[in-house]
Amino acid sequence: MTRRTPLVSAAAMAGLGIVLLAHVGAEPRLLASSPSSAGGGSGNASSRGGSSSSGSSVSGTASGALEQYGYGELAVKLTVQKGRIVSATVTGLRTADTYSQQIAAQVIPMLRKEVLAAQSAKISGISGATYTCSAYATSVQSALDKLHLK
Amino acid sequence: MTFEPATRPARSSGRRAPEARPAPPPRPRLLDAALVVVGLGFGATVGSTIIVETSSQLQAPGGVAMFLGNLTGMAGTYLALVMVLLVSRIPHIERILGQDGLLRWHRRLSPWPISLIVAHAILLTYAYAEASHSGLLAQLASFVSSYSGMLIAIIGLGFMVLAAVLSIYSVRRRLRRETWWAIHLGMYLALALAFSHELALGPSFVGHPVTQALWSIAWAATAGVVLAYRFGLPAYRTLRYRLKVVEVRRETEDVVSLILEGRNLDRLAVSGGQFFEWRFLTSKLWWQAHPYSLSARPKPPYLRLTVKAVGDHSSALAALAPGTKVAIEGPYGAFTTHARRRQKAAIICGGIGITAARALLEDLPKKSDPAVAWRVSTEEHAALAGEVEELVRRRRGTLHVVAGNREDVSLHRVARLVPDLRQRDVFVCGPESFVESMRQVLVGEGVPAEAVHYEVYAL
Ligand SMILES: Cc1cc2nc3c(=O)[nH]c(=O)nc-3n(C[C@H](O)[C@H](O)[C@H](O)COP(=O)(O)OP(=O)(O)OC[C@H]3O[C@@H](n4cnc5c(N)ncnc54)[C@H](O)[C@@H]3O)c2cc1C
Repeated sequence: MTRRTPLVSAAAMAGLGIVLLAHVGAEPRLLASSPSSAGGGSGNASSRGGSSSSGSSVSGTASGALEQYGYGELAVKLTVQKGRIVSATVTGLRTADTYSQQIAAQVIPMLRKEVLAAQSAKISGISGATYTCSAYATSVQSALDKLHLK
Repeated sequence: MTFEPATRPARSSGRRAPEARPAPPPRPRLLDAALVVVGLGFGATVGSTIIVETSSQLQAPGGVAMFLGNLTGMAGTYLALVMVLLVSRIPHIERILGQDGLLRWHRRLSPWPISLIVAHAILLTYAYAEASHSGLLAQLASFVSSYSGMLIAIIGLGFMVLAAVLSIYSVRRRLRRETWWAIHLGMYLALALAFSHELALGPSFVGHPVTQALWSIAWAATAGVVLAYRFGLPAYRTLRYRLKVVEVRRETEDVVSLILEGRNLDRLAVSGGQFFEWRFLTSKLWWQAHPYSLSARPKPPYLRLTVKAVGDHSSALAALAPGTKVAIEGPYGAFTTHARRRQKAAIICGGIGITAARALLEDLPKKSDPAVAWRVSTEEHAALAGEVEELVRRRRGTLHVVAGNREDVSLHRVARLVPDLRQRDVFVCGPESFVESMRQVLVGEGVPAEAVHYEVYAL
């Protein structure tokens, strides 16, 4: 026991060191400076949206694409029962900084409500969070496409 | 010396019965290697949460809580994985530490993962609530509704906290062992339920396919190890040896020996002093596995265990019908002659602890001059006394049997029955209170800790 505690500690420090060293010099994981590089505004998403055809019998779950939006990236998973979107949850959320994280945390519940109400990716953006909204909408749309729902 | 069933006397043909093989020796280097791997993994896990962090993230309000929440979650879950590995009974490690050693490590580690994971839940709820300018409860609701895998993760946390609270010694003591065990299994469920939210939301994983893959592989491998060694190997051994009861022999008023017959027992590697978890397949007993030591080295096709009636299970064994099938898990235990460091050995046992001592004695070489000190409540309770006497005599050793209860016979007196105690390896076995007190006595008598080897008859 007495000999083993230093052994484990040393190994843990080595593990930590290896990971940190491997990371040194690697470029920042997200480029917070160029939001415009992230595909499109909210209008884009709305134009792609559409009401799900009533009476559709599609049921299932699909994860939308992981959408980059400059301040971060997110993906949305949809569950559809008999053509109705019954749940929309975020499966991947990563932001460049805490401010973006705060915005995301704030708007994600609102966006979910909008999607459930609209039953489509056609959601009106939330001011101050245009990019987050558009990424959310785009990911929702890609999930709908996977489910062959319009 | 034999214990063959009375109904089937030893074969009179000149052919010698095949011998059982001793357990493979432990290799302590493997434990060191395993610890290095575990340590590296822990460092890397912590590192993975640090490298995804940026300074602007930390400086913003709620940022520190968010970072600490991720860090505690990752570190706690990693330690939970180590906890699972510790009870998976990987044979190479079990051989070094013994099952009791593994459980001791498991217990010692247990406060860390549980408190880290609870801290993770609290910190992140707080951090997200700060970030979204909402209250804690509103934030919990939005976790459940808007984030993938969070509902089941929260349910998992509930199971985990329940199982942890019931494992606190003062609470656990009041529960039936079986009740506690069933609830404790909820830990596996809790860890499985938490998995999805880790990959979906963990900053170390989102957008990092490599860390995702490594984490998944680590957990899949752990699950594989548990399945292989807790289920696969016992099932394999049970089917391979096909043990069944052939005789129940009364030794004393409250002790019986069970003689079991099986196939392929010459292939079973087990040393004196080891034990199995036995499951007697009758309608009342099949669901409980209890540990009992072999009370003699196997004599293929026979095995023997000797049991003192202390509760439901141990009392029910006297009534087992010949032919009852037996499932096994094991052999386990590091209480074997492999543990010896010195020329001579002393064995000090209390009451029914003689079972492991008796089998261990058989593994000591001829003329090895073992010293055996055995405390029993009365002479009549000295089960297997005749056999022990014979084994000690053949090894030119000495046997002291002291009768009397705890108040009458001080453990110091028992220990001092062996004059050259400090020059010997000392093997101690018996009930928990006996072993614990005796270990202290031995320290007082100047026996170095590494020369003391023990098996406690309670887990
Ligand atoms: C490594 C080891 C070797 C043992 N070898 C022998 C032996 O050779 N002969 C013998 O008579 N007894 C032996 N025991 C003790 C035996 O396992 C218990 O007496 C038996 O399990 C009691 O079960 P019960 O239902 O009759 O009694 P209970 O009333 O349920 O329990 C009595 C006590 O036994 C312990 N116990 C109960 N169930 C278990 C279990 N599943 N696992 C571990 N401990 C338990 C508890 O600590 C409890 O205090 C050994 C124990 C261990 C750990």
